[in-house]
Amino acid sequence: MRDSPLFKIVWAHLTGRKRQTLVSILGVMFGITVFIFQAGMITGLQNYFVEKTIQSTPHIQISNETTASEKPVAAKAYPENRDIWFSIRNQKDRLEEDKIKDGLQIASLLENHPEVYGVSPSLTSQAIFKLGVLDVSAIVHGVDILRENRLFNLEKDIVQGSVIRLETVNNGLILGSGLAEKLGANLNDNLNIVSPNGVSLPMKVVGILSTGLRDLDDQRAYSSLRNAQKLMKAQSSHITDISIKLRNIDKAPELADEFENRFGYRAVDWKEKNAAVFSVFKIQNIVTYLVILSILLVSGFGIFNILTMMIYEKMTDIAILKAIGYTDKDIRRIFLSEAMLIGLAGGVLGLITGLVISIIAASIPFRIEGFVSSERLNINFNPLFYTIAFIFGLLTTAIAGLLPARKAAKVDPLHIIRNQ
Amino acid sequence: MPEKTILEARHLDKYFYDPVKFHVLKDINLRVEEGEFVSIVGSSGSGKSTLLYTLSSLDTDYEGEVIIDQTALRSLSNDDLARLRNRSIGFIFQSHYLLADFTAIENILLPGLKLGKRSKPDLLRAALEKMDLLGIRDQADKAVNTLSGGQQQRVAIARALINDPKIIFCDEPTGNLDSGNARIVFDLLKDLAHNYKQTILMVTHDESYQTDRQIRLHDGRVVD
Ligand SMILES: Nc1ncnc2c1ncn2[C@@H]1O[C@H](COP(=O)(O)OP(=O)(O)O)[C@@H](O)[C@H]1O
Ligand SMILES: [Mg+2]
Repeated sequence: MRDSPLFKIVWAHLTGRKRQTLVSILGVMFGITVFIFQAGMITGLQNYFVEKTIQSTPHIQISNETTASEKPVAAKAYPENRDIWFSIRNQKDRLEEDKIKDGLQIASLLENHPEVYGVSPSLTSQAIFKLGVLDVSAIVHGVDILRENRLFNLEKDIVQGSVIRLETVNNGLILGSGLAEKLGANLNDNLNIVSPNGVSLPMKVVGILSTGLRDLDDQRAYSSLRNAQKLMKAQSSHITDISIKLRNIDKAPELADEFENRFGYRAVDWKEKNAAVFSVFKIQNIVTYLVILSILLVSGFGIFNILTMMIYEKMTDIAILKAIGYTDKDIRRIFLSEAMLIGLAGGVLGLITGLVISIIAASIPFRIEGFVSSERLNINFNPLFYTIAFIFGLLTTAIAGLLPARKAAKVDPLHIIRNQ
Repeated sequence: MPEKTILEARHLDKYFYDPVKFHVLKDINLRVEEGEFVSIVGSSGSGKSTLLYTLSSLDTDYEGEVIIDQTALRSLSNDDLARLRNRSIGFIFQSHYLLADFTAIENILLPGLKLGKRSKPDLLRAALEKMDLLGIRDQADKAVNTLSGGQQQRVAIARALINDPKIIFCDEPTGNLDSGNARIVFDLLKDLAHNYKQTILMVTHDESYQTDRQIRLHDGRVVD
């Protein structure tokens, strides 16, 4: 290779125009660096969100969802296709309608399902949290804390207090960290919860919990199932939700359908529940690819330019090479190799700088508040990105080199020599 | 030793169509035998260069036959023609056409490396031998743009010789040189023909150069 005259020509061309060569290399390098960093950062955040979601939220949640789209009861009394308008004000979602009938039996049936890892029944309701002069609206999530903890490993997310005190302290309450902040509540503070039915319960903060998922941390408080039922004036069999964790997360959509058909209640899998977030992710990913594409397009033009200039400058060289026996293919190979070398150099440098920047960025403490909160950037070092970026880089340089290379191959030596 | 024909043209006709149709070569028939040093002479514009390009495979747009070393050029593809030039043809033009990015000896090696028949050391030895023969051995490792015009043209001759071609085509090889250097270059060509049996076909408008045989061109026709 080093002895090949073609390689020597390639090398001479590239080193003869050091500045342009360098700029072209930097262009490719920049594109690949940006892609690696951006893709790593964005998908890192996405993966972090997915990981947290899988860990801290149910894979499937069964609830008795009342949908507003349901026809008013009065409408059912009349045949369809009649020009009758109904105006019903304050159609009430009565608490009773949220109830899952035989919920505890369903929960124990699910517990024995071979695909199910664990089940936690709960009663969930909106309530007003009162501490001092502050009123904050949030969600009370009444649970069997041992079952809930087995599913979501709450212990790991506890920042103050303990999970087990929800069992031992009579009116215990575990607050999400964001909610605690809003209320200005500390561990062992006493506060009041008022339900929509007007029931007021004095509670004591026995723990503060931070899952990293904004929605949960800002909105939710855990109480015992019994206290939540008391708050809602409900019986001890009354539950509104069943949280399910599966052995194999990939089966969630399919099993959600199965459960929905079998029990007649709405079963939502985690992907469906977070569909909005996933569609944002999709857009983010498209933007990432658009960014690398546009940067590489620009560097592709750079390479196209340098090669086109090179060909004009070296026209007589090309002519004489052909006169002394070099084929069209040899000439094409020279200019294509020049493009590919620029791509290769830019690619390797881009991979290195992308990796280095990612490593540095991952090590810097950095507070993120979004779908998830985190103390640092969660950068994805998936080798797939490095491979894709590298292939992208080589592909653009190859495409950028193709046209000039073909042009060079078509140079007619006779034309050059005759006109000298 | 029976004569062997290296180059033959049969009923060669060529036209230019731009700007107007122009019959530039008219029914050319000629032969060059092995070891001959032949010149094509004629006034400027008589078609000498055009004839040389058609005979040497660079120009493929003609009527009639050109045969080099028993191969009809018309039967060859573009790549085959390139291979033929590499193996069997040497070129010396008015300009030296050396690659400025390379040293003298690297330029000389270019056709040899393409042919790939000899090992690198063998090829280097051959190149130095040719340079020795042409009196430029001490210039081997110099960048070509530091050489004088005469030296550059001699590097070009060495490059034409490196693959021991069947025939060398020259188009006004001394055209860019002062008379002293022109003489040196012509004497070298003559030496190659007479002492090394190198077949040479040379286009020149200077009829004072004594070659084995002159072919005179007038208005695209061989005369005499
Ligand atoms: N590419 C071309 N297109 C049209 N006419 C040409 C072309 N090349 C040369 N000619 C014409 O052909 C004639 C012969 O040219 P050339 O072979 O260069 O002559 P010489 O080498 O004998 O001076 C000239 O009249 C020239 O103007
Ligand atoms: Mg001429």
